[in-house]
Amino acid sequence: MPMVEKTKLSKLASKFIGWRMWVQSAFLLVWLDPLGLRMHTVCSPVFHCYACPLSTFACPIGIIAQFGALHIFPFIAVGLLIAVGVLFGTLICGWVCPFGFLQDLVAKVPTPRFDLPKWTGNLRYVVLIVTVLAVPYFFGEGHWLFVCRVCPAGALEAAVPNMVGQAIGGKEIIWPSALKLTILGLFLIAIFFIKRPWCRILCPLGAIFSLFNRVSALFLRFNPYQCTECKQCHKMCEYGIEPEKSPNDSRCVRCLECVGCGPGALTLGSIFENSKTNTPLDIEKLE
Amino acid sequence: MLTKNTKIIVFFLFILLGAVLITYGAVFHSTNVLPQNQDGSPAVAKSEPALIKEASVGGVRRDESGKIKQTYTGQSPEACAT
Repeated sequence: MPMVEKTKLSKLASKFIGWRMWVQSAFLLVWLDPLGLRMHTVCSPVFHCYACPLSTFACPIGIIAQFGALHIFPFIAVGLLIAVGVLFGTLICGWVCPFGFLQDLVAKVPTPRFDLPKWTGNLRYVVLIVTVLAVPYFFGEGHWLFVCRVCPAGALEAAVPNMVGQAIGGKEIIWPSALKLTILGLFLIAIFFIKRPWCRILCPLGAIFSLFNRVSALFLRFNPYQCTECKQCHKMCEYGIEPEKSPNDSRCVRCLECVGCGPGALTLGSIFENSKTNTPLDIEKLE
Repeated sequence: MLTKNTKIIVFFLFILLGAVLITYGAVFHSTNVLPQNQDGSPAVAKSEPALIKEASVGGVRRDESGKIKQTYTGQSPEACAT
């Protein structure tokens, strides 16, 4: 039976899996602007509202939508998402994004969790095309379906803190629209019963990164010769993916939990590794 | 399934595309924006990073004639969409 030699990258990934929350916390410090830099001339590659009082960078989705409304091509935001996407794919969602981290933290609360049908993952592309691209371009930023007007991240990270600030300051409270409050309410309920509902069903940024999963420099490698078909990876994956069938599935957020499966059939790989049996092509050849 | 070499070629093409877009946007791309005070002042060319900053507070709008206008600058208003 051909064995897959564990590369430095896969060994490093195995060590870090238990530390994912700490990695997410470290990145949170970057996005929450502890130094008050407000570098809003630059986009970050994560979903974090730029109207949040604590945001270091501009939200790439908000910028793409705003530029669409202005009929200007957002070169920097699109270039950044292509570069980051082709390097990491949805590894950004699983390890770096603060909105994903928030949902991961809530997932620690022991409530019953419901699974989602596979097709719901495609709704993200609808959200991307409709609320981020089409509506801003054709109807402008005043339309009720403009992404920032329905975004729960904007409601939670910007509208709520602003309302609290207005209340504390004794000013008149300016409420977000009923639609936005409804979406925020549904989101806050859903995160207790569905694992990462925003990321899996509606996130337009995740939709963009997921398009790169099959070509990104870092990818999940499956070695059929080490797989014992124990289905342990099915239990480890909280997103209803069968990693051995589709290790680089577009619905995967690359939390890398499945890499910890007993037989070690799943590992984090890189297209630049030189190991003899470590690429999808090599495994194909072995077959 | 893509071969390893194809993956590497695709990767470098995307990285190159991303780098070209970022460089063009950061260094060369600018847009004419009419100033906040509508006193007949000429439009000012704003670089893309500067426009990102203005857009992040919703301070620029496109009017019916297709011109970009600055509506305010600095902090976002309390009635901001977000």
